[in-house]
Amino acid sequence: MRRHWPYVALTAVLSLAAAVWAIPQLGDDHGTTHVWVRGDDLLGVSLATHVDGLAAQVMLLAVGVGLLVQIYSTAYLGHHPRYRSYALAIILFLVAMLTVVVADDFFVLLIGWEVMGLCSYLLIGHEWETPEARAGAAKAFLMTRIADLGLLVGIIVIGQTYGTYRISEVLAAGPKHSTAIGLLLLVAVVGKSAQFPLHTWLPDAMPGPTPITALIHAATMVAAGVYLIARLLPILAASQLVMTLLAVIAAITMLLGALFALAQTDLKRALAWSTVSQLAFMFAALAAGDRDAATNHLLSHGAFKALLFLGCGCLMHAVGSSSLSAMGGLRRTMPVTFWSMTIGFAALAGVVPTAGFFSKDGVLDALNHAAHGSGILPDVVAEFVFYIALSTSLVTAAYATRLWLLAFFGESNEAHEAPQAMIGPVVVLAGATLALSIGQPVHVGIGLLSTAIAAAGIGMIVWAWRSQGDLDIDAPLLTHELGLDVPYAKWLPALVESAARMVVVIDRDGVDVYPRTSATVAKLASRGLDLVQSRNVQRYATVIAAGVALLTAAAVIWT
Amino acid sequence: MIVTALVVPFVIGILLMLFRGQISGRVAAWLGSAAMATSLVLFALVWDGRGVRSGEVDTMWIEPLRAHFHVGVTFWSWPFLLMTAFLGLLCCIWLIADDTSPALVGLVLVISASSLGVFASLDLLLFFVFFELALIPMWFLIAWWGDPHDPVGRRRAATRFLLFTVSGSALVLVGIVIVAVQSKTLQIYDLRSGSVVATSLIAIGFAVKTPLVPLHTWLPDAHSKAPTVGSVLLAGVFLKLGTYGLLFLGVFMSHRPFGEVAPYLAVAGAVGIIWSALACYAQDDLKRLIAYSSIGHMGFVVLAISTQSFVGVAAAVFGSVAHGLITGLLFFLAGSLKERFGTASMTAIGRGLYARTPWLAVAFVFAAVASLGLPGLAGFWGELLSLRSLYEVGDVLSKPGAWTLLGFAVLGIALTTAYFVRAIRLLAQGEPVPQDADRDLRGPEVIVSLALAASILVLGLAPGLIVGIYNFGTLA
Repeated sequence: MRRHWPYVALTAVLSLAAAVWAIPQLGDDHGTTHVWVRGDDLLGVSLATHVDGLAAQVMLLAVGVGLLVQIYSTAYLGHHPRYRSYALAIILFLVAMLTVVVADDFFVLLIGWEVMGLCSYLLIGHEWETPEARAGAAKAFLMTRIADLGLLVGIIVIGQTYGTYRISEVLAAGPKHSTAIGLLLLVAVVGKSAQFPLHTWLPDAMPGPTPITALIHAATMVAAGVYLIARLLPILAASQLVMTLLAVIAAITMLLGALFALAQTDLKRALAWSTVSQLAFMFAALAAGDRDAATNHLLSHGAFKALLFLGCGCLMHAVGSSSLSAMGGLRRTMPVTFWSMTIGFAALAGVVPTAGFFSKDGVLDALNHAAHGSGILPDVVAEFVFYIALSTSLVTAAYATRLWLLAFFGESNEAHEAPQAMIGPVVVLAGATLALSIGQPVHVGIGLLSTAIAAAGIGMIVWAWRSQGDLDIDAPLLTHELGLDVPYAKWLPALVESAARMVVVIDRDGVDVYPRTSATVAKLASRGLDLVQSRNVQRYATVIAAGVALLTAAAVIWT
Repeated sequence: MIVTALVVPFVIGILLMLFRGQISGRVAAWLGSAAMATSLVLFALVWDGRGVRSGEVDTMWIEPLRAHFHVGVTFWSWPFLLMTAFLGLLCCIWLIADDTSPALVGLVLVISASSLGVFASLDLLLFFVFFELALIPMWFLIAWWGDPHDPVGRRRAATRFLLFTVSGSALVLVGIVIVAVQSKTLQIYDLRSGSVVATSLIAIGFAVKTPLVPLHTWLPDAHSKAPTVGSVLLAGVFLKLGTYGLLFLGVFMSHRPFGEVAPYLAVAGAVGIIWSALACYAQDDLKRLIAYSSIGHMGFVVLAISTQSFVGVAAAVFGSVAHGLITGLLFFLAGSLKERFGTASMTAIGRGLYARTPWLAVAFVFAAVASLGLPGLAGFWGELLSLRSLYEVGDVLSKPGAWTLLGFAVLGIALTTAYFVRAIRLLAQGEPVPQDADRDLRGPEVIVSLALAASILVLGLAPGLIVGIYNFGTLA
């Protein structure tokens, strides 16, 4: 235990500092801007921060989950030989995440944004002995970083358009070139938040340690895309094209993610697809122009998904695998985990009175409003997304119930409750999932509709469980995730590899021809000149005689 | 002051070569370090601000040619000078060991001093003399102290390097003569040329050195066969002679005719970024990989220069310095690996260096991440400014052209990430198979790696240190 406390203490100090900074700003819509270092050189990068109510909430979420994960990890990975680098990477990640949230300069934001990506890469690859971890880490880093280039170019465009890189000044100046800027930022956000068509890296990131999944790949980093769009919404919402595209991407992703989650045989991978689907809910709310609904769902999802992943870690600790076939009947042997995760699954399914119910209803309500003419989204698109979201709610309730039943009911398995350092954070998050629902707005009509849908989804699965006794989903297309990963996993690497081989061959046999040719020419010339200077008097005389004869002949002919 | 800063390493270098039998390698390396440290401190102290020529010395040298011995530090050359002296110092520190040959230290000093001379010259003839002076010792460095397992290959690589660069220099010389005759002076800041022919000749000559595709085939051989310090000086300093020359040509000497040449340079730079990144993706030899990656980074610098804008200038200088530090670190670490395993082949070195040599692996990953342009480290700002100069188009290129090149450059960054991730996966990660030669960083290696990593981090977090010098206009 002794070698763990410095890292936990460091995280606690960081969390405390962030909380002291954030709490006074809660509920402040305008926020406080502070310029620490003014950049007035050619580069124009200022070290500036801006904390408003939204930023404060996300800060508290990040440090809260971060601290819980750090405590949880002392038990989960405390005996790992590389615990030190792991714990330090978490702290670096938290600093980067806080940088993204408080940054008031696009470049400062970009630094945080990409350092988060690096930490994610290092932490997914924490178990770098295994090929899955290596491949998952490489894929996550490549896909997100290549998407991040959209943000980089977007920032350059913003700088040229507005003459500043300060976010608050850009927001104050109002929308300009919204479509171009919006499309570029969308590329980065789709990559970072694992939305269609760049969604395939997130499930493959699951070989990373489970606490990391809870922190980075559920609660914070993947939600940074939502935060970025929410922050810049006044600029981006001026472009109907960008908002429509965002809505369509969100609609596709939420349904696909939920269907893929339904078909999984691995608890952790199912939860990863669930994250993809839930992030799409937030983007749908943003496309509908409702920032509060999106960030509300961000916070409640952050709490209940971190809870589910940490709970999943407890189950893995007990049975040694994240496969659903290894679990079952764990409600008796692991009661605390069972009750906590039940709250988590209820929030995911949208059951009253959890935070998930209220925040999802907020999203549905925002879409419903947008379908009736508020906001920039075309009504048809908003209506389409609204119905997709309702269908997704049904599938979500179904897969949440399926996972819950498969993990905790059925035949009993030998297991024991996880250590206190692990179970504690899970209980705290369960409390938060309930507490976050206090004071949430209620939309009665939507609430009744979504409760009915959730009940239908739950009922369907329970009925199937009762009647068949198993919940195997026989849908090869879904278990293969529609083959959407094939271009990234097969075609693109093959293309780059063959191009690379071709370049090497051309470099050797093509480009290198001119130096070799000139070497050959030089050799031939030297041999030729060698003949001329043979020191053979007879040959010299012959050449002279021939020359004289030729000149004479020429003179005779041409005169 | 500048004369002292040039003469000290030069003289000590020649003395070390002459008395190579009388002195131990360790003492020689210490002496060399002291000489380079002196030079570094003097160049750092001589700076009086960007408006003036600091520490200027001007005496008549060859009267009939109107050639002066004219040196000084300007805001163009200062970052290059500091980086060169810093890398020269680190090379000498690297050589602190019992089995070092004093003559090798001497060669390093002469090469460093000559390169410093190039950057400090304010007279065109002097510039050219220093430029050539740096080449010959480099031939010896590669041919005599290069890859010990491949005597034929290293000799061939050295000769190839020499022939390529001397051919380039010949073109530069012809161009210089034309320019000098037109301008009736050899003083660099008074030169003005309108000759497209002269500009093209000089540009091609420097393009060999930079190098630009398709004039690059000397580079992978030379870098991979050279000894560690040779690779570091080649990549860190020699390539910068080319970019410094191009920068100077484009901004001062032939501002107008350079516009005719710039689009071709820009296309070659952009093609080079993609070309080298793809070549890197197929390499097994780590030193060849780093060598090819240099071509890509120089592509960004050339793109920036070809826009002929202030942002482009800042991008070129920042990119050059950052590349010197990052690639310097990469070559030092590749040298450490080659020294241990006798080869730089990634398959032969094997996987799992994280477990076998943890600090070496961490340093390598750090350098790789810096080289792929992670924001917050030095490599990023040069690339960013380069992209920005393209987006703003500048004076020379057309908008569709510049934006197409921007697209190429962005694709290049993506490919760069891909090949470094591949290299990390092949070397640092993976099931470790221990070998007898597994030995972590120690002694001078630790000092050199820390110094470079710290400077990369500092420049990454405070890019204003260099960009501030080129503060000709603000964003708005």
